[in-house]
Amino acid sequence: MGKAARWRDEGEGGATRPVSELPWLELTLLLPLLGAVTVAFFKTPAEALRASLGFFITTLLTATAAGFQHGSAVLRHFAVDDLAAPMLPVLALLHLLTLLGTAKSRVSPMFCVRLLIAAFVSLAAVTCQTPWMLIALLVLGVLVPLWDLMSRGQPVRGYLIHMGLFVVLLVLGWRFAGSDTGYALLLLALLLRGGIVPLHGWLPTLFQGAAYGTAMVFVLPLMEVLAALRLLLPSTPEWMLNAASIVCLITAVYGGGMAIVQNEVRKFFAHLCLSQTALVMFAVMLHTSNGLTAALCLWISSTLSLAGLAFSVRALEARFGALSLREHHGFYEQVPGLAVCFMITGLASVGFPGTIGFVPMELLISGSADQGLGVSFTLATAAMFNGIAILRAYFALFTGKRPTTSVSLRKTPLERAGIIVIALIVFLGGWFSPGVVASRHHTADKLLERGK
Amino acid sequence: MSDTTQLLTTLGLSIVAAPVLLLAVFFSVFLLHRRLGEEVTGKLIQSTISISLLAAVSAAVIMLWQRVPQHPIELGDWVITPHYHLKFEFVLDLLSLSYVMLTLVLCAVIGAFSTRYLHREPGYQRFFVLFAIFLLGMVTASLSETVETLFAGWEMVGLSSVLLIAFFHELPAPPRNGLRVWIVYRFCDVALLLAAILMHEINGAGDFDHLVGEKAWPAHDPLLIGPHFTMLGVLFVIAAAGKSALVPFSGWLPRAMEGPTPSSAVFYGALSVHLGAFLLLRVSPVLDSSIWLQAAVVVLGLSTSAFAYLAGRVQSDIKSALAFASLTQVGIIIAEIGLGFRYLALLHLLGHACLRTLQFLRAPSLLHDHHQLENAIGSRPHEEGVLWEQKLPLSTQRRLYRFALERGYLDSLLEKCVARPFVAFFRGLDALETKWARLLDGETKAKEAPRDL
Repeated sequence: MGKAARWRDEGEGGATRPVSELPWLELTLLLPLLGAVTVAFFKTPAEALRASLGFFITTLLTATAAGFQHGSAVLRHFAVDDLAAPMLPVLALLHLLTLLGTAKSRVSPMFCVRLLIAAFVSLAAVTCQTPWMLIALLVLGVLVPLWDLMSRGQPVRGYLIHMGLFVVLLVLGWRFAGSDTGYALLLLALLLRGGIVPLHGWLPTLFQGAAYGTAMVFVLPLMEVLAALRLLLPSTPEWMLNAASIVCLITAVYGGGMAIVQNEVRKFFAHLCLSQTALVMFAVMLHTSNGLTAALCLWISSTLSLAGLAFSVRALEARFGALSLREHHGFYEQVPGLAVCFMITGLASVGFPGTIGFVPMELLISGSADQGLGVSFTLATAAMFNGIAILRAYFALFTGKRPTTSVSLRKTPLERAGIIVIALIVFLGGWFSPGVVASRHHTADKLLERGK
Repeated sequence: MSDTTQLLTTLGLSIVAAPVLLLAVFFSVFLLHRRLGEEVTGKLIQSTISISLLAAVSAAVIMLWQRVPQHPIELGDWVITPHYHLKFEFVLDLLSLSYVMLTLVLCAVIGAFSTRYLHREPGYQRFFVLFAIFLLGMVTASLSETVETLFAGWEMVGLSSVLLIAFFHELPAPPRNGLRVWIVYRFCDVALLLAAILMHEINGAGDFDHLVGEKAWPAHDPLLIGPHFTMLGVLFVIAAAGKSALVPFSGWLPRAMEGPTPSSAVFYGALSVHLGAFLLLRVSPVLDSSIWLQAAVVVLGLSTSAFAYLAGRVQSDIKSALAFASLTQVGIIIAEIGLGFRYLALLHLLGHACLRTLQFLRAPSLLHDHHQLENAIGSRPHEEGVLWEQKLPLSTQRRLYRFALERGYLDSLLEKCVARPFVAFFRGLDALETKWARLLDGETKAKEAPRDL
C-alpha cells in the first residue's frame, strides 16, 4: 500500500457524509480564503479589520462545529480525524486572538490578508490527509512571514536560509521516506521548523523583524508537531527519535535560560516559545502512549496560553511601543486587565495548578519518568526557568513607577473581549482537562498503532 | 456509606469549597469588569473563613465524638490513563485538621485586621484576591492526601506569597525581592515535583497512605518503607527547606518583609513558613527510613536555628527581627521532627504560629506600646543580665557580628556561585546567538527596534 493511500485510510469515517449535515469543514477552509480575497479589495484599515473580524468569528464557529462533526471527509484530501478535531477550534481561536490583540492603528488590509491566509494554511494542514498536500501547505506557510519581512524591508537572508533548508529537507525526506536517510532528513527538517537548538537562529530574528501577529501565527500553531505526528511516527527508527528527544530536552532548558536573561520583550517571548515547542517536540519523540498523550495535550495548552501571553504583550506594545525588560515600566495601574491576562497565561504555559497547562505538564513530566529521573529533572528545570522568566517579565512590565500619559490607555472593547475569552479558556480548560486527556490518550494509542 | 462518613465528607468538602467559591466570585467580578466595595470584600472574606472554620470545627468534634481517627475524602481520579493517574484526595486527621483550623483562625484574624489596616489603600482589592488564593492554597495543602493535591496548594501559596511581597509595586525593592523569593520557591518546587514522580514510580500513585499505610497519623506501617525512600526523603527535605527558609535558603526571609504587615504576619510569621515543617510531619515515616536522613534533618533544623538566632540579634527593624525569631523556632521544630517528636513538633508549631502572628500584628504599634509601658512603669525598661556573646573573645564577637550582619553570607554566596555564573553563561550564549543571526542576515550593525506590530 502506498504511503499516501495508507494515511488516508486512517482518517475516521469514509468519504461519504449524510446530506443533512452542513459542510462545516468546507466552510472552515473556505472562509479564511474567501476572507483573504475580499479583504484584499478594501482600501481602509477599519473596513479590513471589521471584515476580517467577521470572517475569523465565523471561522471559529464553523471550526468548532467541524470539530464536533468528527469523521467527516471532504475534497479527497481533508478530513476531521481524531488528531484534527480539537485543534480546529484551537487554531481558529489563535488567529482570532491575534487579530483582537492588534491595535487598530497597526492594522492594514495586507496584514489582515496575511493573517487570513495563515489561518487557512493552519486549518488546512491540520485536517490534511495526504502527505504531499501537507508538505505543500507547510511550504506555503513559510511564505507568509517571508512576505511580511519583505514588505517591512527587514533582512530576510537568515530566514530564507533556514526555511529554504527546511523545504529542501522536507521534500527530500518524504521522497525517500521508508529509508533511514529519508527519516533522518524529515526529522532534521521538523527540528529546524521547530527552532530546535542549534537550528533556531531564525526564530528570534523573525519575532524582531516581522509583525508580531505574523510571527505568532507562524510559530504558535506548532505545525512541526503536526508534521511529526503525521509524517514521522511511528515508522522512524527509535534511535533517531531518542537522539532528537535529547536535542529537544537541551533546547527546552536553553530556551528557558535564555528567556530569563533577555532584555527585550520580543526576544523573551521568542525564547519562551522555543522552550515550549521543544517540550512538545520532546513529548512526541518519546513515542510512547503517555508521551504522545502529553504531547497532544501540551500542544493545545501551549498554543492557547502562549497566544494569550502574546495577546497581552501586543496590547502593551500597541500603547507603549517596543518594550525593554531592563527597567520597570509600572503598567499595572493603567492596564490591570492585561497584567492579569499576562500572569495567568504565563503561568498556564508552565503548568500552574488549576490552569489549562497543569495536567499536560504533569503528564509530560510523569510520562518521562521511564527515561530516568534525570530526564524528569531536566524537564522540571526547563519549566522552572520558564516560570522564573515569566515572573521576571511580569515584574519588569507591570511594576515600578506609574508612567504619566496624556491619553487614556484603558483597554478597548475588543481587548476586553479577548481577555475574557483567554481567562475563561485558561481556567475552564483546567477543569475540562480529564475529558481532553481521555480523548488525546485514545488518539495517541491510535497513532502508535498505525504502523502495526 | 454511613451517615457519619457522609457528614464528614460533606464537611471536609465545605472547608475547601468555600475558598473556591470566593475565588470564583472574584474571578466573575474581574470578567464583568466590576469593582467590589471594601465592605463587601471584607464581608465575603469573613463569611468564607467562617464557613470553612465552622465545617472544620464540626468535623473535628464529630471525629472526636465518634472516635474516628482519620477520614479520607476521595474526589476520584482526575486524569486516568493506563500508565498514569492524577488523583485529588483530601484527608481529615489530627494533623490536617489541626493545621487547617490554625490556618482558618489566623486568616480570620488577619482578614479582620487587614480590612482596617488597608482601608483606602489603592491595592485593597488586589490584596484580598491574593489573600484568597493563599487561603485556598493553605487549605488545599493542609488537607491533601495525595502529593498532587499538596503540590497544587503549595504552588498557590508560593505565588500569592511572592505577589504580596511585591504588593507595593511602585517601589523598586519589593518586586526585586519578590523575584528572588520566587526563584528559591521554583527551585524547591522542582524537588517536590520530582518527589511526586518518585512516589508514582514507587507506588504507582501519589497517595500518602501508600507511603505510610492505612493507620492514622502519626502511626505508620514500617513494612512499607522501601529502598528509594531515602532519595524521596531528601527531595521532601529540599522542598521543605525552600518553603520554610531553612539553611541555605534562608536569605529570602528578610526580603519577604517588603509586603504589607498583615501578609508578613500570616505568611512568614505563621503559616507559610511552617508549611515545610507541615510537609515533613506529613511524610515523617519517610524520614524514619534512614537514620542518616533523620540526622540530616536534625542538623538542618539546628543550624537554621543557630543562624537565625545570630542574624536576628543584629536586625535593626522589627519585622526582620521577628522573621528571624520565627525562623529560630521553625529550625527547632524541624529538629524535633528529625528526632521523631511528632506531637511535640505539632504543638510547638501551633503555639508558635499564634504567638508570632500576634507579635507581627503589633509590630507597627511597637513605639506606641513602648511609650505605654514607659508611662506605666515611670521609667525606661532596662535589660538585665549579661548576654552569652559578651563572654566570648572580642575577635570572635566581631566575626560573629559580621557573620550575622551579612546574614551568614548566604545571599552573597548564592549570588556569587549560582546567579552570576548563570546570567553570564546565558548572556554569553545570547551574544553568540545575536552574532550568528547578524551573520546570516548579512548585517554589520545591531538591528533597529521594530517599527510596527
